[in-house]
Amino acid sequence: MSEITRRPTVRSSVAAGAVVLVAVLAAGSQSASALGFGAVGGVVFAGGLATGRHRAVDAGALALFFGVVAGGLEAPTVEATIVATVATVVAWDLAHGAIALGDQLGREAETRQLEAIRAISSLLVGLLSGTVGYAVYVFGGSGQPVAAVVLLLVAAVLIVVGFGGGRAGSTRRRRTRH
Amino acid sequence: MNARAVALALGLAAFAAALAVLAGVLEFGLAQPVMIAVGLVAVAIGLRALFAREPPRNVGTPDPERPTAVPVPGETLRESLGAFRSIETSYAVTSRRTAAGLRAAAIAVCSRFGGDDEQRARERVESGEWTDDDVAAAFLSPSLERPSGSVRDRIAAVAGRGSRFDDGVRRSVAAIARVGDGESDSSLPRYDPDEGRSARDRGTRTATDPIDGTQRRRERATNYWHGIGVVALLAVGVGVVAETPAVVLAGVVGVGYAGFSRAFEPPELDLSIDRELSDDEPAPGDEIDVTVTITNERDGFVPDLRIVDGVPAGMAVVEGSSRLGTALRPGESVRLEYAVAVGRGRHAFDPALAVVGDLSRSTEREYLVGAETTVVCEPELRPVAAPVPLRPTGATVSGRLRTEEAGAGTTFHSVRQYRRGDPLARVDWNRRARTGELATLQFHEERSARVVVLIDARRDAYLAPDSEATHAVDRSVAVAGRIAASLLADGDTVGLAGLGALPQEADTEPCWLAPAAGRHHEARFAELLATHPQFSTIPPTNEGRWLWQLRGLRRRLATGTQVVFLTPLCDGVSADIARRLDSRGYPVTVVSPDPTADGTAGERLARVAREVRGFDLRRAGIPVIDWPADESIDTVFARRAASAGDHR
Repeated sequence: MSEITRRPTVRSSVAAGAVVLVAVLAAGSQSASALGFGAVGGVVFAGGLATGRHRAVDAGALALFFGVVAGGLEAPTVEATIVATVATVVAWDLAHGAIALGDQLGREAETRQLEAIRAISSLLVGLLSGTVGYAVYVFGGSGQPVAAVVLLLVAAVLIVVGFGGGRAGSTRRRRTRH
Repeated sequence: MNARAVALALGLAAFAAALAVLAGVLEFGLAQPVMIAVGLVAVAIGLRALFAREPPRNVGTPDPERPTAVPVPGETLRESLGAFRSIETSYAVTSRRTAAGLRAAAIAVCSRFGGDDEQRARERVESGEWTDDDVAAAFLSPSLERPSGSVRDRIAAVAGRGSRFDDGVRRSVAAIARVGDGESDSSLPRYDPDEGRSARDRGTRTATDPIDGTQRRRERATNYWHGIGVVALLAVGVGVVAETPAVVLAGVVGVGYAGFSRAFEPPELDLSIDRELSDDEPAPGDEIDVTVTITNERDGFVPDLRIVDGVPAGMAVVEGSSRLGTALRPGESVRLEYAVAVGRGRHAFDPALAVVGDLSRSTEREYLVGAETTVVCEPELRPVAAPVPLRPTGATVSGRLRTEEAGAGTTFHSVRQYRRGDPLARVDWNRRARTGELATLQFHEERSARVVVLIDARRDAYLAPDSEATHAVDRSVAVAGRIAASLLADGDTVGLAGLGALPQEADTEPCWLAPAAGRHHEARFAELLATHPQFSTIPPTNEGRWLWQLRGLRRRLATGTQVVFLTPLCDGVSADIARRLDSRGYPVTVVSPDPTADGTAGERLARVAREVRGFDLRRAGIPVIDWPADESIDTVFARRAASAGDHR
């Protein structure tokens, strides 16, 4: 009898490991402290992925992102930070996807197409938002970028609240929390 | 609603202002304190939500690949001790109750297998001379002192909590089992006071009711991206406070993902599932290939589709996987192939479980997709190689069962004085020539047996030594078919009856097939074994009304009918049934598939309890044929025939 291996799927796990390595290197290129945080986060992340623990993956990704931010604070340029951020989020997404998929379908199931679509969509979103942000930064650099960004931020929050509050998913989420 | 509209309007205004500032149209100098305040608020929101983040909650999937798990006899020590319960152990604190129960067990085995009567056994347990294990003896006797053991024992006692008690339990159980088996197996069983069922049981069915088409079961937010927005805000806040564009941009990337997580809804699903089997009527144990074709019938892209096929509980996937994760374009089909091992019975596929997510995986919808496929797997009626051990009493019709009664036949029984009317052919002419007396030879009467095979399929009979093994009811049903085939081949008449739970909704009758012979009867017998709900391979959820069913059975049984009772004999009721039938004049033979294990203290004690039950039945004159899990029924019957002397 074939037992179901309810562990993270192999392809997504390997991809997540590779991407998290990119994130650690990109963040670590900025400063030593970033490399430290990134390395610790990467190890915790990999451990969580190997054992299939959501919380460990969260903690690792968070430490890694902290490293990215720390590197960004000291960085003269923004490109590496954007790359590291996108890589961190993509790796985090892949890891959670691998764990959830492993839990639902097991390692034996054929999931290639599903995993490919997930990885590509996640990467595209990151690249798109990174590019938009970078474009704003480059072309708006002469003005008053910080003020503009603060306004953008407030705008984003309000728009998200305006659009998202009506979604069935989010209201249910709020209800189940109580 | 209003607040949202206002928020949206303000947000759009802020966006426009930001664009204006960027383009240099608007000179908008935010004071440093305002910016810091906004930054700190963002940080605060981020931190607060960060601690509230929970791992994503995905829809759990059952394990339809696996056959239904049945318990091992004696899962807990308490349960096993219950078999030996007597009045003195009715109520006490747990540790005292355990010791008292073990004492009752020790007395029970000593009075059966130790050659003592009950009173003597009690004295021997009291004095501790029933076993050569001092620790076990002291554990069960209040008057004995536990020996001050070696240094190692003392260290072990200090090291583990309650290990002294546990050690006493383990040694006592091992000693009791030694008396029961008569073997010198010195290994100690495991004992964990908190033992019980395995922690996580996912269930083995996708749904219990058949379904037409595609049906939505539930929708839930997975909280998959929950927290990404606040981490992004955190970064933006830090960046704003520190006036570092790189960090702000990192936050902007995060905001992008937060937007992505809210942008989609999972598509409505309309799937069609077509299942093809390589064999519709396999024999038990056969492996068949299943090919499932899944087609997206809607004109919409399904980006995230996870499917778990509803493999019936009586089948186990042996090759490939009955699960699939894919994306489907409109009208696209995907194939899923796997092989299953089929057990006896009637198996209907449950609806397939389909989990659909949107592209961002924030919402999952669970659908059930019906596709009915039924496999009927009848047990094969192959005669057993050795004769079926029946009781030597027959019905009135002549046949081939050699009874104990003297009369006409072929095997010599006795000689008696000649009476008028005895047939001349049976007069012992040699004796007449030698001594001048007239004597009549008597032979064992040969009659046909009228047998009813009674299967114990009560919920308590669904037991197996481990999760992989065939459970006792399946074994009973398989051997019922073979016994019937043997007896029918010998010219006997065979019927079938069952004791066990019936499905509540349908008014099905307990299984009853009156003893008869012939091809048609044989086919009917096999069909009942495969399809009658009482013999389902899935353990029933409700208790059967066995007493009521037994009364009904007694009314139907004709006088002199033999009963072959198939039961694992793992609870008191099974022995009780055998006794009740036997005392009513239906000679009972118990054939008992052994489902016991011996890993833990509870399991080992359950095995001893079963042996005690068998011993008591034999003492009451009911033959009990023990069928170990690792032997074929042919071997068991052959050994029986060799040891008991052939009655046939």
